[in-house]
Amino acid sequence: MAIVTPGKRPGVRIQSSRVFAKKFSRGKRSTYAGLMLTSLVDMFTIIVIFLLQNYSATGEILFMSKDIRLPDAVHGAELERAPVIAVSPDAITFEGKQIALTVDMKADALAIPELDDSLRDERRKWDESHTRDAQHPFKGLVHVQADKKIPFRIIKRVMISCNNAGYGNINFAAMAKGVSTKPTTAENTPH
Amino acid sequence: MAGAAPHEGSAKGKKKALDAELNLVPFIDLLSCCISFLLISAVWTQIAGLQVASSGGPQDQKQEQQTIDVKLELGQSGYALTMAGARIEIPKVNGKDGPGYDQKTLVEKLKTLKASLPDQSSITVQPEDTVAYEDLVATVDTCVGQQLRDVTVAPLN
Repeated sequence: MAIVTPGKRPGVRIQSSRVFAKKFSRGKRSTYAGLMLTSLVDMFTIIVIFLLQNYSATGEILFMSKDIRLPDAVHGAELERAPVIAVSPDAITFEGKQIALTVDMKADALAIPELDDSLRDERRKWDESHTRDAQHPFKGLVHVQADKKIPFRIIKRVMISCNNAGYGNINFAAMAKGVSTKPTTAENTPH
Repeated sequence: MAGAAPHEGSAKGKKKALDAELNLVPFIDLLSCCISFLLISAVWTQIAGLQVASSGGPQDQKQEQQTIDVKLELGQSGYALTMAGARIEIPKVNGKDGPGYDQKTLVEKLKTLKASLPDQSSITVQPEDTVAYEDLVATVDTCVGQQLRDVTVAPLN
């Protein structure tokens, strides 16, 4: 005799019956749990919209350094791509390359010769790459990113070097408290 | 009954359900990729720029308007606003971190200037050598805020 599972067993006729066989069928729960995806999709959509709203197409022009604590500014404008001079309490860098040590800037000289050379090189490169580009004239824009406690004595020397190389439009970097949407261009720059 | 859903499994054969199930998996995949990309490429620090001209920089041809020569000196004792022969001293005030420049009074003076000369947009800021970058930026920011957008920075001596 065949081995069967203990319990109630329908007879052959009842087992084949549409009505009575249901009493003996043991309903098994499905092992697949139905996941509610609607709320997940909602959340993802909100995150994507938030990130798209805060997306900056220009990317990061100035890189934050631990040594440089920028001051705050309310009326600052959006930055555009230009050479960056960073002045930290330790060193002066041009486009990430160290130019001079800040402690050496105590002398009462006017310009910083190394910075002069680097800026002139940059200007020459720009001139070479824009020889036939009359639509984009040289704006002389440069970003100065300095620590908030740096005295004007050093900033002045940086500015004189910029002037010597033809970079007359200087952008002082600051942490934006409420950035206006208008980008800084040579058209709305001071003389 | 009107509006009732059709029966399933009627005697003449099973009918397909009218509710179509949308496959959300590719949509979730796409959103996940978007979130990853946007998070990686997001710029979290908002850096602004205050554009100034240095004293030896290229001069513009916009000085034809009715304007006067306005100079703002930043010294050890405070601000000194010089315009049309008059000199207004704005001494430092005591703040949380010790004596600081009186931005509030400066705003009032610049407002008065702007009210009397609406075309005026240029100002020369002349800091002393010891003035911190923070104070210089705050002063330029105040000037730009009062619609004096053509800020020239020149050394005091």
